Amino acid sequence: MANTFKSDPIEFKPAEAKPAPDSTVGIVAWMRGNLFSSIPNAAFTILIMLGLANVIPDIIDWMFISSTWSGANQDACVGDGACWVFVKAWSQQFFYGSYTTDQIWRVNLSLILLFVVIVMSFTLPASYRLKVSVPLFLVLPFLCIAILDGRLVGLEHVNTDFWGGFSLNVLMAAAAIIVAFPFSFLWALGRRSDMPLARSISVVFIEFFRGVPVLALFFMGSVMLPLFFAEGTNVDKLVRVWIVLIFFMSGYMAEVFRGGFQAIPSGQYEAADSIGLGYWQKTLLIILPQVIKVSMPNILATFVMLFKNTVFLLIIGIPEVLQTLLTALSNSNWLGGHAIEGYVFVGVIFWLCCFGMSMLASNIEKKLDTSHRN
Amino acid sequence: MIKISSLVAGGLALGLTLGAQAATLDDVKKRGVLSCGVSTGLAGFSQKDEKGNWSGLDVDVCRAVAAAVLGDASKVQYKPLTAKERFTALQSGEIDVLSRNTTWTHTRDTSLGLNFAGTVYYDGTGFMVSKKLGVKSAKELDGANACIQAGTSTELAISDYFRENNIKYKPVTFDTSDQTRSGFESGRCDFLTSDQSQLYALRIGLKNPAGAIVLPEVISKEPLGPVVRQGDDQWFNIVKWSLNAMIEGEEQGVTSANAADKAKNGKPGNKRLLGTEGELGKNLGLNADWALQVIKQVGNYSESFERNVGSGSQLKISRGLNALWKDGGILYSPAMR
Repeated sequence: MANTFKSDPIEFKPAEAKPAPDSTVGIVAWMRGNLFSSIPNAAFTILIMLGLANVIPDIIDWMFISSTWSGANQDACVGDGACWVFVKAWSQQFFYGSYTTDQIWRVNLSLILLFVVIVMSFTLPASYRLKVSVPLFLVLPFLCIAILDGRLVGLEHVNTDFWGGFSLNVLMAAAAIIVAFPFSFLWALGRRSDMPLARSISVVFIEFFRGVPVLALFFMGSVMLPLFFAEGTNVDKLVRVWIVLIFFMSGYMAEVFRGGFQAIPSGQYEAADSIGLGYWQKTLLIILPQVIKVSMPNILATFVMLFKNTVFLLIIGIPEVLQTLLTALSNSNWLGGHAIEGYVFVGVIFWLCCFGMSMLASNIEKKLDTSHRN
Repeated sequence: MIKISSLVAGGLALGLTLGAQAATLDDVKKRGVLSCGVSTGLAGFSQKDEKGNWSGLDVDVCRAVAAAVLGDASKVQYKPLTAKERFTALQSGEIDVLSRNTTWTHTRDTSLGLNFAGTVYYDGTGFMVSKKLGVKSAKELDGANACIQAGTSTELAISDYFRENNIKYKPVTFDTSDQTRSGFESGRCDFLTSDQSQLYALRIGLKNPAGAIVLPEVISKEPLGPVVRQGDDQWFNIVKWSLNAMIEGEEQGVTSANAADKAKNGKPGNKRLLGTEGELGKNLGLNADWALQVIKQVGNYSESFERNVGSGSQLKISRGLNALWKDGGILYSPAMR
């Protein structure tokens, strides 16, 4: 053993990694790569920078530095900046409309219920997610209406004339899309059906509601519809436009669903047929879950569209948030020209909500992504 | 499932309210609240405050009718309506009375199945000019640029007026009243034209309201008044005379402060108006103290005017045509006897 040659096994040692060259990392390199990669790019960058440098200080000054934040009326606004006192004084109107002040918890409760049901719909275990959240979703609009109205659940009655503000936009959009969901599914099935009657009814319905502008539909709901009812029958204006929204929405969603149906490979239908499932079993158990998965991005995009469309309700005098803003601007104690503050405020809350929904949408997409891409 | 179906039924019950149209008075009494169509927001006429309370000259007509019929001016359900849907809302019975700065015209009165119950405010197209211009009359506006809101009756009125008087002008039209105002402010035009009641509201919104004046000329007739459905004469009378009670109250010097006292100790005319003597209330199908309630709770015309659009408000509109006939205006209530 004495002459045993012993040496350390040769070990491969990679050279120490060198940092990336200075010309490819860091802020300078990023700017060179993205902002100044060519002469036209550099020129545009400089132009845009100059433009922003011109505008942004003024905006910041108007919004924050010379603006007025505290006070009780517009006399407090003496500076040149924004008069946020206006938004503050009217904030309850902007969010809740004229809903009875000590009952506002009911509006909040409805919004929380909506939020909880949405969260539940993608956090519950997959095994019973659909069985729980679908009925919850379908009951939710009626439950919210019962809570807000109050008569059925033994609370103080708050007439729909008092509902309003941003909460109305949110709840209207949610209530419309939830009820539209099953309808649009049926229209989409009808359109793909072999039965001539079902197919033609579906086509006419879908094309009518997709072809007519939503403003025209609102006018029909608010001005024409009452003339068709029996004399003395009054359907609440809010209910009328709710129905209009449901129809409008189900027309659009039906097309989204149809796209989803077409994306499902025919092997899925044939497989379902071959194990002896009937039409409804096949549709509900095999096809629909896949259709929903495929259509999810479009469903959410349609929802964002509907949500923003709810401000059009102002043209028929529904006191949603933009109408409330116009009402506020016409109050003789607030005639100091606060339109810009109001529009900025409404724009910001809409942007926050829509941005939040986009984030939620991409989250859901990731969760639902069980594709066989890899 | 029982619970769900009862919720659905409730949703329908919420939507459907039934009411016969013939006897509006009985409906209102049964309901205990007057349903009144107002604007979605018009400074001084029907406006909402931050607390959600409605006020204004048009709103005071609603309150007067509620006081006369129900004895309580606060028992009003306000329905904000756009200009396009106001008549449908009345025709379909959604509202009992429409008090929404609506111009009384022959066409509307005769072809829509409606009746105008009087005039609350005599409005008309007017002019606002910058003080710097030194103009005293619209006739001196030759060759000037006019800021006008597109699609309003104002456009027609001033085009007629200037053609009649052989004056040239250049219209600059805007979409909303806010844009019209900023157009005027930035000097795009020399004068701004709109309904006179609106000019005062637009003026307050200027950065320097004192730098602009509203010319005295009014070039079109825009009598604004409450409207009811045709075919219910009793209700028509009630709305008409509730308004007249306010005007008569001013003429007789009865105010919200002294109405109760005048009812007991006033002149015979006061007593007749306020229901201590005579049968005016009974003839309308109302309580004897109907007019007393109107004046006590809402005030006479002068009080309402000054509070909402006159010296007590931001608008500071002078009475002008809307003064009583004996003060140089044209406001006149038929004899209260």
